[in-house]
Amino acid sequence: MKCPRCVQVIHRGASLCPHCGFGIAEMDARHGGDNVSLRRLADVAGLMRSRERGKVQSALDGFCRRFPQMFFAVYTGSAQGGGNLRQFGFWLLNRAAFEDVPVDRPNEAGILLVIDPESKSATLTWGYHLDPFLTEEDTFVCLSRAHAYFLEGRFAEGTVVLVEQLGKILRKRAAQARRDPERFERKVAAPPRTGEIARRIREGHRQSPVKTTEVIP
Amino acid sequence: MKGQGLVWILSAGLAVGAVKPSLPEWSAADKTALEKGELVPGLLLLGQDAPAEETAAPAQAQVPQPTPEELVEKEKASTEVPEQYLEAYFGERPTSFLVDPQGLLSTKDERDRESFLKYHAGDSHVDLYVYLFDGHQSIPSEVREEEIVERFFSEGKPAVAVYYYLGAPQKSDIYVSPQLSDSVSAVEQRRALISSVEEALEKPDALAQFEAFCVQLSIRIYWMERAAGLVTEEVAATPLPRRTKSQEPAVKETPEMVARAKEWGLHYGPSAGIIVGAILTVAGGIAFARSRARYRFPVFEVAPRMGGAHAAGIGAVISFGSTTQSPSSQRNDVPDYLGL
Repeated sequence: MKCPRCVQVIHRGASLCPHCGFGIAEMDARHGGDNVSLRRLADVAGLMRSRERGKVQSALDGFCRRFPQMFFAVYTGSAQGGGNLRQFGFWLLNRAAFEDVPVDRPNEAGILLVIDPESKSATLTWGYHLDPFLTEEDTFVCLSRAHAYFLEGRFAEGTVVLVEQLGKILRKRAAQARRDPERFERKVAAPPRTGEIARRIREGHRQSPVKTTEVIP
Repeated sequence: MKGQGLVWILSAGLAVGAVKPSLPEWSAADKTALEKGELVPGLLLLGQDAPAEETAAPAQAQVPQPTPEELVEKEKASTEVPEQYLEAYFGERPTSFLVDPQGLLSTKDERDRESFLKYHAGDSHVDLYVYLFDGHQSIPSEVREEEIVERFFSEGKPAVAVYYYLGAPQKSDIYVSPQLSDSVSAVEQRRALISSVEEALEKPDALAQFEAFCVQLSIRIYWMERAAGLVTEEVAATPLPRRTKSQEPAVKETPEMVARAKEWGLHYGPSAGIIVGAILTVAGGIAFARSRARYRFPVFEVAPRMGGAHAAGIGAVISFGSTTQSPSSQRNDVPDYLGL
């Protein structure tokens, strides 16, 4: 878990980044705190042709079919209010209200791809439900697959490739989670409190019997 | 002394050489006329007509002029096939299919044409004889081509004789042997000849024309054969390639591997087919099942971070602004700003 601004590791449940003090309030101040109405495919920058949009849309629908709890959304446009692309992705997934996503799939189960044609960069952001199952490395692999297409301006094809790659990773994770759900639960479980640690230590002490030695006068 | 004598001789010689001829002198009458302006010097050379003796010269030639008949005869004699070749052309039935006693073709070309005509003779029921003449030549009037064809080709294999003029295919003439003349009309013969001439005229040079002429006439002779009833439909329907094809399998032996494979196929074919079918069905079923598969995840409680109500999963950022910046080079990129 990292801060979207300073990309430093932060602890679970941190209300602000302990390193740079970043929080969503900062982004709300830039972009607004109200919900933003969007569709899953929001080609605001107009990077895709209408026929290509159909292909991307069907790829997004396929993702939704295979993963009935989740959805994948694409936003193309620049973060005009300032901040880097990670911060913008973080803000957008928290503030977006997706019109074409059923209510049983909240944003916690969403994955958002943001493509910024101005800074020529792309990023992935995901909701809390996916925290145990996705890593930054996974998203890097997906983006690397799409990189060649993005480089040539074939954004639709790149997006479809990215969605397919992410689907492969998630299929694997779903199978692993079915076999060993605790492994993933541990990743997001709340850290033990300080008193709990002390109690464990005391219990440990109690369990080990004290050896008594006889002293012969 | 000797030197003085030599000098004297040389100077005497020069003095003798230096003596000029005496200048012409005016006669008294000419001088008077010149003074009166009646005589212009040199007028005789510039203005006078040719001397009388030159104009009188043609009158001396008393050779009789050739008559028009003689001129025509002479011209005719120069274009006619030389007499020395007539015997070779028309003396007997030709022994080769190409009759060229004048040697108008080179050895190679003659061999090529002859071999083609031989090939035609082997493949056809009607031989093709070609009498070759030069383009400007003509056959002497005393030679009756039709009669010659009748005389030489009335016996034996039916034949078509063609008088071909090298470089002038349009002058060519065609005659058929008596066996064919009844069944192949003069119109049909003419049509075959015209078709061959047209084919020849499409070629740029004389040799190519001759070759095209022979090939086309050979084709047309096939239709003459059919008209004469020499070719039956059965033969026509089985051309040479097909005959050889039908003979090949009888000669060719089936390779051992193929025979074994066939045997194996007969023994295990049905069961192998069933196995392959089953594998394909299973593979198709798996593919279908995978496409229909739904993947679900357990839902865990996750504490919100940085004030985000729904999401705080921060993934990688990749730049696609430059071809020199590969994805792997961006793996550990950390922004050098704080977005302020």
